[in-house]
Amino acid sequence: MKARIVARADVLKIVDLLRAQGYEVLAPFGGRGRDTCFDTVTDENRNAIQFHLANPYYPPKRFVLPPIERLFKIRKHNGTLQIEPTTKAPRRAFFGIRSCDVAGIAHLDRFYLGRDFRDNYYEQRRKNIFLVNLVCTDPERDIGDECFCLCADTGPAAREHFDLQLMDLGDEFMAVAGTPAGEALFADSIFKKGTEAHVEKRRVILAEVRKRFKNTTSWFPATVRYVSQGKILEKTWEEIGRRCLECGGCTYVCPACTCFTVSDRQSGPDEIERVRLWDSCALAGFTRMAGGHNPRRAVHDRRNRRFFRKLAHYFIQRELSVACVGCGRCAAVCHGDIGMPSVVEMIRRATAETEKIPPQPA
Amino acid sequence: MNANENIYLPKPAVLDRVVDDIAEVKTFYWHFEDPEEQKKFRQFRPGQFAQVSLFGVGEFPASLPPSPTENETFFTIRQVGSCTEALHQLKPGAKFAVRGPYGNGFRMEDYHGQNLVFVAGGIGLIPLRSCIVYALANRDQFKRIQIFYGSKTPKELMYLPNLREWEQSDGVECHLTVDRTANGWNGHVGVVGSLFKKPGVDVPVHNTTAFVCGPPIMFRFVIKDLLAMGLPETRIVSTLERYMKCGVGKCGHCCIGVAYVCVDGPVFTYQQIQKLGEDI
Repeated sequence: MKARIVARADVLKIVDLLRAQGYEVLAPFGGRGRDTCFDTVTDENRNAIQFHLANPYYPPKRFVLPPIERLFKIRKHNGTLQIEPTTKAPRRAFFGIRSCDVAGIAHLDRFYLGRDFRDNYYEQRRKNIFLVNLVCTDPERDIGDECFCLCADTGPAAREHFDLQLMDLGDEFMAVAGTPAGEALFADSIFKKGTEAHVEKRRVILAEVRKRFKNTTSWFPATVRYVSQGKILEKTWEEIGRRCLECGGCTYVCPACTCFTVSDRQSGPDEIERVRLWDSCALAGFTRMAGGHNPRRAVHDRRNRRFFRKLAHYFIQRELSVACVGCGRCAAVCHGDIGMPSVVEMIRRATAETEKIPPQPA
Repeated sequence: MNANENIYLPKPAVLDRVVDDIAEVKTFYWHFEDPEEQKKFRQFRPGQFAQVSLFGVGEFPASLPPSPTENETFFTIRQVGSCTEALHQLKPGAKFAVRGPYGNGFRMEDYHGQNLVFVAGGIGLIPLRSCIVYALANRDQFKRIQIFYGSKTPKELMYLPNLREWEQSDGVECHLTVDRTANGWNGHVGVVGSLFKKPGVDVPVHNTTAFVCGPPIMFRFVIKDLLAMGLPETRIVSTLERYMKCGVGKCGHCCIGVAYVCVDGPVFTYQQIQKLGEDI
């Protein structure tokens, strides 16, 4: 991978370069406190782009997988059916996407484009997306109370899946190219050659940031093992289920959740559109069949489902990617405090109890 | 499959005729508007399913009761939700849309040289009909073929013309039962599993595959009976049903434990079902 150095004063010129190439650039902007969001960069707001701020509640997932997306228009005309697929795939660049969210998009790639069937709506949109990853280096502003990317092994600096990676070294940024498209940007004169001292500075900053995480949940890998081996007791799932308010919030803020439902709606006289919408395994109707039979009726069965899908070794192997990227958003939004870090902790406590080895007689 | 193919795109189909089966259940004969699509679809295997679109209402998964050895394509559908209700209201000549076939289906070649035991309850006969017709059309490939089928009442026995035909056919032992008797029924009364103990019935245990499909309660008891008779878990196969939106392993609704019913199933051996890690 090639690296370059960009002066702090020049770094927003990367946004200009991308906009000049026809990209709609989405970047993080700050409101008050944790109130941050990804928004389209315009001439007016360009200078308000922030580098260090709380990662927005809504991951940029919605720009690759819209919450509501039309699949087809269906026209009924003189007794015939015309089914016209509709795709929208704007050229978009995410500027300042965090490493966890890069891993989230990589997971969506594995899921939607992998195995026997390729989702061509996702594929076309994804092909037009350029990722400028920003490494989390500010322990106060970048790293939230719930972040555990260290443990999910996705951050604070992504190792792959970005086109360009930026890291704040103080007066300068280090830029690393992850793809030929990213490397092509280096042709611009803002990118200067770096020195060994820059590499060393990057190493020191990363080593320091790693120590400043507030929440590491180091039982994450062990939990993967317990879940995969079916060692988690039903009463632990029940305890987790009792705290679930079934709002679906965790799935809507998750950068790696993939489930959707499909719905038809009238969009004009003789015209119907078929749309897909994000769905959530937390909702009671998720598995309810026509006639009312619901194989997953109990709340804890549905909670069990979410964590099993994310943590079971079988699925990790199936997609060669984990459906949890350690962003901590589920923990930040959950009213019942059963985000991933809490669940890992509850499983740790319950398992430690059952696995307690009785003292051997002397 | 073609990498650029739109996996969610249903193809227009025409309803040819509708035949009443039991109460609330009808069989819908149809074909694709495009003969090429029809040809492609005809490659389906017994046990696979298709996604049926009623535009403005939605899409639902439906088993394929015809055997690939038959010339017609049809669905047998019970009116149970909004989509099936919309389908039930269609008149011959009406347009709807279908995509598929999906799922693993039964690989009938794997059962060549074996005894086949079909055990169905109620509308569980719909997905098994395909296998039965296929097996009878390739009769010399299989040893004994037995059918055990039961419904609540005599009025609820499905595919009656087929059942009569199978009862009279030499190549197949067909045993019917009902839970509750009614006027004019002089056959067996009792749950499906009681047929195994009927005088004159012997179920071969060695070199046998049992195909089981029916309501959950019947499924549980029949499996118990078959295991008690000595059938191994790997030789009991079934087909599962789930709420599904996509049929191609993306929407997430049909996932049971470690399996997506739509792409890993719907056909599973009993051994696989037990290893899913979640109740069916």
